[in-house]
Amino acid sequence: MNLRLTLTIAVCKVLIKACRLINQGGTTLPGKIALRLYPGIISKITQGYKTIMITGTNGKTTTARIIGQILKENGIDFISNKSGANLVYGVISTFIEAADLKGGNSITTALIEIDEAAFSSLTKFMEPHMLVVTNFFRDQLDRYGELYATLKGVLSGIERCEKTKLVLNADDSLCASLGRNENRPTLYYGFSRSAYSGKKELINSDALFCVYCKGKYEYSYRIYGHLGGFSCPRCGYGRPQTHITCTHILELNSTYSLIRFSADAGDKSGNPQEYEAKINLPGLYNIYNALAAAACGSMLGLPVENTIKALKSFECGFGRMETIVAEGKLIKVILVKNPTGFNQVLSYLLTEEKNMQLAFLINDNAADGTDISWLWDVEFEKLEDMQDKLDNIYASGLRAEDMAVRLKYAGVYTDKIHILKDYNQLINTGLSRTKPGHSFFILPTYTAMLDIRKILKKKFGLKEFWK
Amino acid sequence: MYELNLCHLYPDLLNLYGDRGNIIALQKRAEWRGIKVTVTNLSLGESFIPENYDIVFLGGGQDYEQEIIQEDLLKEKGNEIKNAIENSKVFLCICGGYQLLGKYYKTWEGKEIEFLGALDLWTIGGQKRMIGNMVFECDFLKTEACDGKIVGFENHSGRTYLGTGVKPLGRMLKGNGNNGEDKLEGAIYKNVYCSYSHGSLLPKNPAFTDFLLTLSLKQKYKDFVSLLHLNDDLENLAHNSMVERLL
Repeated sequence: MNLRLTLTIAVCKVLIKACRLINQGGTTLPGKIALRLYPGIISKITQGYKTIMITGTNGKTTTARIIGQILKENGIDFISNKSGANLVYGVISTFIEAADLKGGNSITTALIEIDEAAFSSLTKFMEPHMLVVTNFFRDQLDRYGELYATLKGVLSGIERCEKTKLVLNADDSLCASLGRNENRPTLYYGFSRSAYSGKKELINSDALFCVYCKGKYEYSYRIYGHLGGFSCPRCGYGRPQTHITCTHILELNSTYSLIRFSADAGDKSGNPQEYEAKINLPGLYNIYNALAAAACGSMLGLPVENTIKALKSFECGFGRMETIVAEGKLIKVILVKNPTGFNQVLSYLLTEEKNMQLAFLINDNAADGTDISWLWDVEFEKLEDMQDKLDNIYASGLRAEDMAVRLKYAGVYTDKIHILKDYNQLINTGLSRTKPGHSFFILPTYTAMLDIRKILKKKFGLKEFWK
Repeated sequence: MYELNLCHLYPDLLNLYGDRGNIIALQKRAEWRGIKVTVTNLSLGESFIPENYDIVFLGGGQDYEQEIIQEDLLKEKGNEIKNAIENSKVFLCICGGYQLLGKYYKTWEGKEIEFLGALDLWTIGGQKRMIGNMVFECDFLKTEACDGKIVGFENHSGRTYLGTGVKPLGRMLKGNGNNGEDKLEGAIYKNVYCSYSHGSLLPKNPAFTDFLLTLSLKQKYKDFVSLLHLNDDLENLAHNSMVERLL
């Protein structure tokens, strides 16, 4: 028996419990202490697991949720870091919590969401069975640095893990490049040209120029941001062939999406089969998350039928379109953290038919990004066209004033813009002005979400986030 | 009716940290006063004809993208830009765009990269990035109604030093500014205004936005006197809340 290991696990288990008792969620500190007490702990406690990791800029949590549901539909037990504790310490805590005192475990599958900047460090200690990458967009430059540095970091992690299978977004030139020089099992997912045609080029798209030769990409079709049918005329790099492909979007409304997709596991001969699936979350960006999860299921060799069942039934994660019914009205919380994600949420709001109350909660703590200039890269101008549906817009959070200025310069009428910093007052005001059957949308950055969620929990009883 | 033509140089490459907000601010604040604004985006391979524009904007970019424009800027547009600057055209340049107008950039390893040389300033690469909110004070903005303070956000590793030919834009009150050493921020040369401040810079510093609009309107129209007054309650709230937090 490894006494040091047992002792470390015991100490950390107590710490996790203690953190929860004082309402701290208990996800970072115990992992930190574990690594201090026993530096080799990660490889020790993770060796019995088949680990599926999910990384990328946007959609990690939702993709992990869908994969979790797919595993459930197939009767596979797993552990996961559901609480959004996706840095190295949070991951360690997750494994420790699942381990018995000898470092063993009865469950053998782990589903781990890992921050794209932390992935490389984590691979120094453990090699995942599979890595699912969602996309790369500009995000919190003060924290992550430049986009290409993040991409390089993930690539170095992949190179360290020779056996890790890859699931990659074919429509993202940055993400797809991760598999280009790899000779290992890799599945690509994406949209076909027939599925969707987005608007023309965005002037501040994140990847206009070839990641290899700096030539300007040509696009045969666009989905959003820099996602689409790209090819570089200079060096020939282009969108790889997909295995899981969204071929048609049959319906895109404010509560769910209905799609057709084809699945081709890559190893079977013959034509890929087409299926219809309902995705239990609205928004174009969630179709990508569903495709990523479906490709993961395919890589695991699980039947497509179970994947389709999972897409229909999964529940969304922490602050990702969480819906609360209160007084016959809906409160919907949608996390926003970077321009592309924010733009997608605004596009989603355009699909809402009823009048609404809308709140933006913008914080600038370290976890949100201390630089809020990214608000100027979000296309709030979209709101100008739907002003008749926007009864009131609330600017809140530590940087409420900056948000209000952004709305004014986006063309929103200033008499609709209210700066309201007190969250209790915000919830009461927003809800009282919401008509029965209508929605009050709350769009917070990360730490603002933690705060408003606490209040919503007290008022309306939300689930504890680590459950 | 007055009209202004804005030129956004390399908007597809130098577009980091919400610098687009500066264009939006110039455009909106002019339009709210009935001044017609046309924005032209100019990128790689397109020639820059200074007479067509009243204000030229150059933002900041990632290293990856700055490398792409290097050649185009020096060889294709360089001479015209220098001429325009000498002829007192109004320019606003942020971060990377600011550095590019200088003489050179010397990397931390000692490699010297030739820049445009339009302004007497140069930049030395640093190992530590200077990141955070900033406040600085500009004498030229001081009036009875304005204390001359500008709030923004900086994120750069290059340290910029000014030669004798250029003046600083302002004095640092909080943050690093040009190099974290001499308490100076940005640069002014003729009608070229340079700053490290993202944020975006102009939206919550309306006095500076109006200063640039006035400058370019006076250049263009002999009869122009002053801008109409606007209600800046929200802008001032955003400005003042950060000044109070930081000072």
